[in-house]
Amino acid sequence: MKLELKNITKQFPGVKALDDVSLTFSGGEVHALLGENGAGKSTLIKTICGIQKSDQGKVILNDKELDLGSLKEGMSYGITIVNQEIQVFSESSIAENIMMDKLENYRKSAGIDWATLNTEAVVYLERVGLDLDPEMPIGSLSAAQKQLVQIAKALSRDADVILLDEPTSSITENEVAKLFSLVRELRDKGIIMIFVSHKLEEVLEICDVVSVLRDGKHVGTQPISALNKESIVEMMIGRKVLVEEFDELVVDKNDLILQAKDVSLAGVFEDASFDLRRGEILGFYGLVGSGRTELAKTIIGHTPKTGGTVLLNGKAVDITSVSQCIEKYSIGYVSENRKEEGLFLEFDIESNITITIWKRIANKISRAIDMVKQNTMAKDLMKQLDVRATGPSQIVGDLSGGNQQKISIAKWLAADCDILIIDEPSVGVDVGAKSTIHQLIWELANKFGKSIILISSDMPEMISLSSRVVVFKERKITGVVPGIATGNQNYADMSREIGGLMA
Amino acid sequence: MQALNKHLKKALSGGDAGIILSALSLVVIFAVASDSFLTQYNIFNLTRTQSLYIFVALSQAVMLVTGNMNLSVGAIAGLTAVIFGYAIEVLGLPLPLALAAAMTVAMAAGWFNGFVMTKLGVNSFIVTLSTLFIFTGLVYGISEGYSYRGIPKDFVSLGRGNFLGLPYLFYLMVATLAAVWYMFKYTVFGRQLLATGSNQEAAELSGINTHRVIMGANLLSAFFAAMGGLLWVSRLGTAQPAIGQNWLIISFAVAIIGGTALNGGKLTAIGLFGGGLIMVLIKNGLILVQANVYFEQAFLGSIILLTILLNRWREVASKKGKSS
Repeated sequence: MKLELKNITKQFPGVKALDDVSLTFSGGEVHALLGENGAGKSTLIKTICGIQKSDQGKVILNDKELDLGSLKEGMSYGITIVNQEIQVFSESSIAENIMMDKLENYRKSAGIDWATLNTEAVVYLERVGLDLDPEMPIGSLSAAQKQLVQIAKALSRDADVILLDEPTSSITENEVAKLFSLVRELRDKGIIMIFVSHKLEEVLEICDVVSVLRDGKHVGTQPISALNKESIVEMMIGRKVLVEEFDELVVDKNDLILQAKDVSLAGVFEDASFDLRRGEILGFYGLVGSGRTELAKTIIGHTPKTGGTVLLNGKAVDITSVSQCIEKYSIGYVSENRKEEGLFLEFDIESNITITIWKRIANKISRAIDMVKQNTMAKDLMKQLDVRATGPSQIVGDLSGGNQQKISIAKWLAADCDILIIDEPSVGVDVGAKSTIHQLIWELANKFGKSIILISSDMPEMISLSSRVVVFKERKITGVVPGIATGNQNYADMSREIGGLMA
Repeated sequence: MQALNKHLKKALSGGDAGIILSALSLVVIFAVASDSFLTQYNIFNLTRTQSLYIFVALSQAVMLVTGNMNLSVGAIAGLTAVIFGYAIEVLGLPLPLALAAAMTVAMAAGWFNGFVMTKLGVNSFIVTLSTLFIFTGLVYGISEGYSYRGIPKDFVSLGRGNFLGLPYLFYLMVATLAAVWYMFKYTVFGRQLLATGSNQEAAELSGINTHRVIMGANLLSAFFAAMGGLLWVSRLGTAQPAIGQNWLIISFAVAIIGGTALNGGKLTAIGLFGGGLIMVLIKNGLILVQANVYFEQAFLGSIILLTILLNRWREVASKKGKSS
């Protein structure tokens, strides 16, 4: 059993998601596919299972070139994916969930032959080690059991290739052990198992081979015996990382603009404490779901906290809405999902930039927005950020990823907030735009005296910009690492220290 | 041929020009098809109905623009009419007080819709489907199906009089549309309505209190529904509980034909003007060509569906055009 990818290339507007990737997956091994956010993992997975067509390249299964265009076609070749979000029809029975895509095989006169369907479903349930009544609604199962049912579903399709996309993200440790013994069993039967995960411990435990993607390129494939956690991280981040050098920010250690004391959001993160010094760039580093973005959204009043205190300039504040946060406390949040949460794609550039200050630039009586002011502000900011566009009236949806990101930052420059929380500013933008954005973030602190919280899972970005880095792991803050500018470390030491707090 | 092609493209590429062009084409077709079409009487009637339709459409459009809907606009109009009639005939209140009472009840109805949507987090379809029945129940409970008479002459003349051959209502409608145009183009609230409909999450994170905006849309929707209801009374001369019964289809049809985006974020006053005109021309035209009026709703429903399909096709086409 062998799945080969040959010269896969996929171009998205403004960024090359996959660049000539060639990889071979063999039966009888669990093959890890790793990479940082934006490295191209999810695009590659989508290509393998047929959700997305690549621009160039071939997918070859057992020496046969596949013609993939949809998930259904992928399934017909025996390629199946178990998603990170567990997708089930809660009200339907376990058996029906397993057989959902094959119900037509169980037709009996006008209805469905439930007896046969249930008996056959039990066979697959047994194969994944579940001893459950097939007629039970699946909604009553635990997350891990649902995950196993999903695998049973994959088996019922006679899958030759099973992609496990972050399969452990919503299950407990005990359940992980069960899942892993099943993965090993399937591997020993010769099925190609592709394992995508952020958790390196798990990769070391379960995988036989590791392939790493970086910036859309395949940077290497190694047997697990030749690797350890550090060397995997090095492959993911890159040995010779181009760390941009920025001068030291002048910060008074005792001048705290924002403090969080034991801030909690039940079930999402616990007892988060940190302080932000005036004029510094404070990094929040951690994996997706570790609580960093969630903490930021709680600080700005988007999701009210369930415990703890937030202090602004030493005074306790109760921020209950984003509008209050911007207007009264002058804190802005640049969202990580610029398309979903940051921009109005069908609006023009100037409306997008000035949306945070419409109230400020409106006539007090008529409440009409000063269109001249709106236009000049947009023009100035576009120039400052080097936005490539035909003019302030161009529709934002037509811009490239990098330029869109500049607009979503420009909007917060217009708002002129004292504190800016910037979440994953360089995901999905090309190298040139990335360095403009970095330069800008640094200038915001250095030139304009803004205090910045930078959330990122891009290690070089984090290290080159941050005065200090707060590390998040599994919904908790595990430590604060002094930065290169403020401490006396080099890149390697700092990334090692951050890595240590993540492990 | 090329020029025609260009015109056709423009008409199909959407925007206000396309809507107005379609309306004008209908005018030409009917003028040729029927001698009685361009008579002063017919023009008066057409523009008066168009004006009423615009208020009906506005009550729906201000909700659609935020990505919500209001199925209860007709019921709010009926309620306004009945309260107004009750205040005049039963309570014997003077005109200004009766108007104020009717308006107050309408705004309370709008506030209730908004309250359930924003504070209790129920989606607009469910909320207004329920209040459609609640308000309709109140209409018939209060009036017991009875039409109120004794509407003051001054008020009736508003709905029946004309200036330079065009009904007063026409001028009122044009002024209202101008205000709506100004609001959506220049004012903070108008822009916030559009932003909320375009991307509610982004609007929230941009510091827009989207709950307050949606509450505002509900109040505005009730306001336009009440205006429509009261003007309908002034045209009929009696306050009938049946007012608003046929609004569901009119409100959606005129708003959609007039270029209001169903999923929010877009509304144009000129488009609405054209949409109202198209609607009234179709209805009038069906009578002129002696089509069976019992089928009217089937025609209107088909037109809504066609408009939506055309819009979608247009979107796909423009995306393709951009990527190539």
